[in-house]
Amino acid sequence: MNEEQKKELIEKYKAEKAKGVKFWPDIIYKDLLVSFALFILLVGLAIFVGVANEPPADPSDSSYIPRPEWYFLFLFELLKYFPGQIEWIGTTVLPTIAVLALLLLPFYDRSPFRHWRKRRLGVTIMSVVVVGMVALTIMAVATTPPAAEEEVVAATLPEQILLGEELYGVHCVECHGAEGEGGEITGVEGLEGVVLDPINARDVMYTFTDETLFNIIDYGQPDLGMPPFGLGYGGELRRGDIIAVVNFMRYTWDDRAELPQEVAQASAVPALAEGEVPSYEVHIQPMIKRYCVSCHRPGKKNNNYLMRDYNEIMTTGDHAPNVVAGDLGSNTIRMLHREEIEAGGPMPPTKALKPELILIWEKWIAGGAPNTAAEAAGLTLPAEFLPVEATPTAAP
Amino acid sequence: MSDHLDRREFVKIVTAALGTIMGAIVGLPAIGYLISPALRVQKNEDWISVGPLEKYPVGKPTLFSFTRSKVNGWEKTVNSYGVYVVRTSETEYTIFSNMCTHLSCRVNWKDEAQEYICPCHDGHFGQDGSVTAGPPPKPLIRYEETKIEDGNLMFFFKES
Amino acid sequence: MAERVFTWLDERLGLTAIYNTVLDRKVPKVNWWYTLGSASLFLFVIQAVTGMFLTVYYVPSPDHAYDSVQYIMNGVAFGWLIRGIHHWGASLMVLFVFIHMLRTFFFGAYKYPREVTWLTGVFLLLTTLGMGFTGYLLPWNQRAYWATTVGTEIPGTAPFIGSFIERILRGGTDLSAVTLARFFAVHIWFLPAIILLLIAVHMYLVIRLGISNIPKEGE
Repeated sequence: MNEEQKKELIEKYKAEKAKGVKFWPDIIYKDLLVSFALFILLVGLAIFVGVANEPPADPSDSSYIPRPEWYFLFLFELLKYFPGQIEWIGTTVLPTIAVLALLLLPFYDRSPFRHWRKRRLGVTIMSVVVVGMVALTIMAVATTPPAAEEEVVAATLPEQILLGEELYGVHCVECHGAEGEGGEITGVEGLEGVVLDPINARDVMYTFTDETLFNIIDYGQPDLGMPPFGLGYGGELRRGDIIAVVNFMRYTWDDRAELPQEVAQASAVPALAEGEVPSYEVHIQPMIKRYCVSCHRPGKKNNNYLMRDYNEIMTTGDHAPNVVAGDLGSNTIRMLHREEIEAGGPMPPTKALKPELILIWEKWIAGGAPNTAAEAAGLTLPAEFLPVEATPTAAP
Repeated sequence: MSDHLDRREFVKIVTAALGTIMGAIVGLPAIGYLISPALRVQKNEDWISVGPLEKYPVGKPTLFSFTRSKVNGWEKTVNSYGVYVVRTSETEYTIFSNMCTHLSCRVNWKDEAQEYICPCHDGHFGQDGSVTAGPPPKPLIRYEETKIEDGNLMFFFKES
Repeated sequence: MAERVFTWLDERLGLTAIYNTVLDRKVPKVNWWYTLGSASLFLFVIQAVTGMFLTVYYVPSPDHAYDSVQYIMNGVAFGWLIRGIHHWGASLMVLFVFIHMLRTFFFGAYKYPREVTWLTGVFLLLTTLGMGFTGYLLPWNQRAYWATTVGTEIPGTAPFIGSFIERILRGGTDLSAVTLARFFAVHIWFLPAIILLLIAVHMYLVIRLGISNIPKEGE
């Protein structure tokens, strides 16, 4: 651009300015409206969409599929087209060229024309690049593999304790007992007859820090027979899961810490009203989670009796059915009363269920073994349970 | 001219109004955000066992220490507390907090002086917990709720 | 009284002069596309304010980063709102700065005499992306950890100096506490300082040169 053109341009701009408006209030007004709309949009996004709850960083979990933030997706997608040897072209050469092209734009595009009709080449290139970026982003989104399994993320402490309780019920109870009381292990392959010290005692709780507990669960204590549970050592638990179990142990067994109220309420088996028929979902499931499922899940020695959901409880097992609605002579009831029968020995093997819990089982089976609370509401207890009286005589 | 002035006034009002709305939507929650940890009062109370009564000699205040754990923000803190158990006779006893009522230093029982002495500002308390010298405004805190269960002396601890 | 205070201040600070040069100036008639710059600035202010509030509770250490963010989300009143705005504000800011750049390009506004404005603008776009990249790691969750692992690997593929750059970004061979600490420092001190400086120059130039008019056919 020569001096004359510059002069002409400035003259023209002055004329435009003269015809124009005042920055305040005209321009500011528009800016303000747009900013305000943006602000409402932001607050709306924060309130109604929020931020997804993600599990904590876990360097040992290599199954995680990393995704960048959406505005880097196009670059991420682009790299798929630069295999092996020439990858560095996509990762460094192209971005460098793009940045330099942008930075130096006013220095190599020296034509004085500003209207797009006189800048067709530049406008076309930029349009193609932008369309390309949008297309790559869309492709990246479309080809995102669905998350393998929605991982449970316990955000608050009460949630963590409840998750920990559930995980403890599945992974720990078979050896350490439902209350961490330890004792002689029965029915666990390779550890039959081993006697464990309690882990709910002060000796453990006062001397093991959260980190110690975490490490023990993570790595196990192979020399003592405890297998590793952390993903990094071949177990099934993620970092967040182990933290949840540690919190469960700490808040349930450490007498210096107080169990949050909402946990105490959520994890207890609800009391029954006079004549109420218990249901699987409200009363039986919490007990099974705590006392049974640790062994009664696939891959354990359990005569193929699985107890992960209502259907499995009613139908599975080598001696199925173990639960027959209305029949107090069902295998499960007899074993809860510590009978040795063809289907197996006393259950749970190490320590009897409290009588009041066994009574709930009996009322459930006698009342028709309903699945949901809604179903239970339509049922009545047989006469022998009204009024609440001695347990029936299944045991000799 | 007057038309332009009106427009100016209008924009001024709109600017002020929208600015106030945005300030309020961010500002008011922000105040709550800053002060909310201060508003959460944690209940810290429980029955604490200090062991069998026989463990404590009659007439000589004896220190018993225990710990409680609390969650502050995202961290668990284990705090240590101390109480003086004083047996006034075979069956009667009193339990005092060892926290000075002045500025929360820990007092010590001195046999030779027969007093609790606070090392920070030289507060003195008699065996019954009353202030005998120095700056403390109130006698030592006494735990009134006590019981004996399974041969162990227990008191109801309440952090104020 | 108010008037006397104003005259006193004006005499010393030159408020009227500022008003005349900054606010009471003539500009060409423009359309709504010209609000993108101020929108970007507005988003930057929002990010700065919410970001400052987040640092009240956030701790940049692998032991506490995740827990402190959970505490912001669940333990503190309105923490979810502040973080929500900061989270979405980041996306919108990248979007708006980028569209603002496109507008400038398509209207040819980068040409004489506004070359330096354009230059600072491109640097602002790059620093905004840098803010997005460094901020992404801070919650120290799975997404953050693995995306940053891959993200720092990308410059690592450059010939000759690649792995050296990667080690500089990570502060070592692995993504670690050192990485988190330096990303945090860059996110809340270095980049914001650079952005503020660039914005100052950018705005000075916008006021000095005036906003470009919409190009007419043949211009």
